Amino acid sequence: MKKKLVSLVAVALLAFPLLASAAPVKIGFINSITGKEAQIGENLTNGAAMAIEDLKAKGIQVDLVKEDDGGDPKNALAAYEKLVTRDGVIGVVGPYTSGCANVVASRADQYKVPLLVPAAAKEEITMKGYKNVFRLNAPANVYSSVLMKAVAPYKPKTIAYVYAATDFGVSTVKTAQENAAKMGLTEVANEKYQQGQPDYRSSLAKVKAANPDLVFLVSYDADAILLMRQAKEIGLSPKAFLGAGAGYTTAQFAQQTEISNLVISATQWTDDVNWPGAANFALRYKAKYGKEPSYHAACAYEAMRIMVLTASTTKSAVKLQAGLKAGVWNGIMGPVKFADYGGFTNQNNHPMLVQQISNGKYETVYPAQFSKKKLIYPFKR
Amino acid sequence: MLLFLQALLSGTLTGGVYALAGIGMSLVFGVMNISNFAHGDLMMLGMYLAYFAFTLLHIDPYVSLVMIMPTAFLFGFLMEKVFINRVIHHPHQNQILLTIGLGLIMSNTALLAFTSDPKILTTSYSSSAFNLPGGIFLSVPLVISFLITCGITAILSLFLLKTSTGMALRATSQNREAAQLMGINVAKMSAIAFGIGTALAATAGALIAPTYYIHPLAGHSFLLKAFTICVLGGLGSVAGAGVGGLIIGVVEAMSSTYISSDWKDVVVFVLFLAVLLLRPQGLFGKKGEQS
Repeated sequence: MKKKLVSLVAVALLAFPLLASAAPVKIGFINSITGKEAQIGENLTNGAAMAIEDLKAKGIQVDLVKEDDGGDPKNALAAYEKLVTRDGVIGVVGPYTSGCANVVASRADQYKVPLLVPAAAKEEITMKGYKNVFRLNAPANVYSSVLMKAVAPYKPKTIAYVYAATDFGVSTVKTAQENAAKMGLTEVANEKYQQGQPDYRSSLAKVKAANPDLVFLVSYDADAILLMRQAKEIGLSPKAFLGAGAGYTTAQFAQQTEISNLVISATQWTDDVNWPGAANFALRYKAKYGKEPSYHAACAYEAMRIMVLTASTTKSAVKLQAGLKAGVWNGIMGPVKFADYGGFTNQNNHPMLVQQISNGKYETVYPAQFSKKKLIYPFKR
Repeated sequence: MLLFLQALLSGTLTGGVYALAGIGMSLVFGVMNISNFAHGDLMMLGMYLAYFAFTLLHIDPYVSLVMIMPTAFLFGFLMEKVFINRVIHHPHQNQILLTIGLGLIMSNTALLAFTSDPKILTTSYSSSAFNLPGGIFLSVPLVISFLITCGITAILSLFLLKTSTGMALRATSQNREAAQLMGINVAKMSAIAFGIGTALAATAGALIAPTYYIHPLAGHSFLLKAFTICVLGGLGSVAGAGVGGLIIGVVEAMSSTYISSDWKDVVVFVLFLAVLLLRPQGLFGKKGEQS
C-alpha cells in the first residue's frame, strides 16, 4: 500500500513538469470587480471573457489569472506583484482605473513583466518612458481635444467645468483647460465635487449663474445621471453639454431620455463605427450578456486579444515586450500600434470618437470619416 | 443673493432627509444606549423596497411608504428581539461589532442579490422643479420628501409626548433602571424603539431614492452623516437630530456655493469639531445625560 502510494506520488511528480511545460500561456488580468467602479469593471470582465472565448475557438489556449483591485491602487499593486512573483504570468492586462493603472505602471519595469492598460486615461501612465507599459486606449487629453474640435466650428466663447475629484476627473480637466486656452475659450466656472453626494444643486447653480456656452463634465456611473437631473431641475441650459467618457457613455445614462438627449460625449469606441468586427462584437455581446457593451468592454476585448495573441507566440515576458512593441493589429478598436510620440511611450495613437445621444441612442457624429450623423448644436431642452 | 437663497433652500430640503436618518439613530441611542452601525444599511433596504415597489408593483415611491414603514418596523422589532437585546448590557465594543456585522450581512446580501449596478428610480417628476419667482428652482421630489419628513417628525413628536407608549419610551431613555422600577417593560420599549428607528431609516432611504441612485453600499455615506447629525444635535435628542440634519444640509450647500463642493465635508467636520469643543454634549444634549 505504502509502496503504491510512493510510486503514485513519484509518477505525479514526474508528470507535473511535463504538464507544466505543455501548459497554455499564463496571463494576469487586474480589474475592479468590486468597489465603486464595479459596474464599469463588469464591462471589462465581460469583454475580456469574450476575447478568451474567441481565442479558444481558434485553438489558442490561455491560463487567465484574475485579480480584483476593488478600485484601490494599493490592492492593484499587490495584485500585480502576486501575479508576477507567485503566479508567474508573463503579461498583465489591466487595471481599469487611472489611479490603479498609474501605480502598477510604476513597477512594471522593475519586474519586467509587460502591462497592457486597456482603458485608463491618465496621461502620466505612458509618459514616464516605462518600457513595459503599453496602453491601448487614448489618454485623457484626447477626450477633451476631440470634444472641443467637434464643437469648434460653432465658435463657443465660454466654458465651465464640473468634475469628480478623481485622478481621471482632475487630469482630464487639466488638459481640457489647455485645449480651451488654445481655442480662446474663457473659463467662467470650475466645480470639483466629491463622488456619491446626493446634492450637487449648489455647484450647478453657480455654473448656471456664470452662463457658459459649454459645460464640460467628467463623472463616473450614476453621478452623471444625478448631475444631469439636477442640472435640468435648476434650469442649467448651455449651448452644449460635453461629457468626457465614463458616466456619460453608458447605456443606462442614454436611456434617461429626459435628461440625456443631445448630450455630447467622447468615447473610445462605438458600435456604429466602421472598424472591423465592431458591429458584430456589439451584437454578440448583447446576445450573451443582455446589455449594450460600453467602450470599456471593447477596450478589454481588444487588449486581451492582443496580449494573448502576442504572448502565445513569444512565450516569455522579455520577448512579449518586444512583440508588443513591434506588432500591428487591426480589430474592433481600429488599427493598433504602440508607438512613441509627443512625450508618450508605447502608446496607441487611438482616434477617439464623438457621439451625441438622440432619443436614448448614441450616434457617432465626429470625426466625419467614421460617422453617419451630424452634430446638433446648440443644445435644447 | 440668488445663489444664497438657492443654496439655503436646496440645503434645507436635503437636510430634511438627513434629519430623518439622524432622528431614527438618535432615538435608538436614547432608549437603548446603542450606536447602530447598521443604520445606513437599513436605509439602503428602504431604497430597494421603494425601487421594487415602483418597478414591480408600479407604486409611487412616496405612496409605497405606507407599506415600507410597517415592514421596516417589523423587521427592526424582530432584529432587536433576535440579536440586539442579547448585547444590551454588554460593553459598547460588543454592540458596535454586532451592528457592524449585521450591516455587513445586509449590504453584502444586497450585493449578491441585486448586483453592484446602481439602480435609478425614474418617476415622471424625477427631474422636474418648482420655478419660484426670481429664478429659484426647487426640486419637486425633494419638496415632497421634505413635507413628508415634517409630517413624520410631527407625528413622532406627538407620539412621544402624548401617548403612554411614547412616555414610557422617554422614561426608558431618561433612566432605564428607574423606568423598570416604575413597572415599564423596558425590553419591549427597546424593541419598539429599534423598530421605529428602522422604520425611520427605511423611510429616509425611500424618500431619497427618487433623487439619488440605489446601490448596495449607498447607505454607508449616509451612516457617517447620521452619526454626525446625532452627535451634533446631542445623542439621544430627537429635536437635536432634526435641527442637526438641517444644519448639515445647509452648511453643505453653503460651502459648495461659497467655497467649493470639494471642501464641503471639511467645512462640515470643522463645524462639528467646533460645536463639540464648545458644547461637548451637542446642541440639544443635557450635560452628563449619557454616563
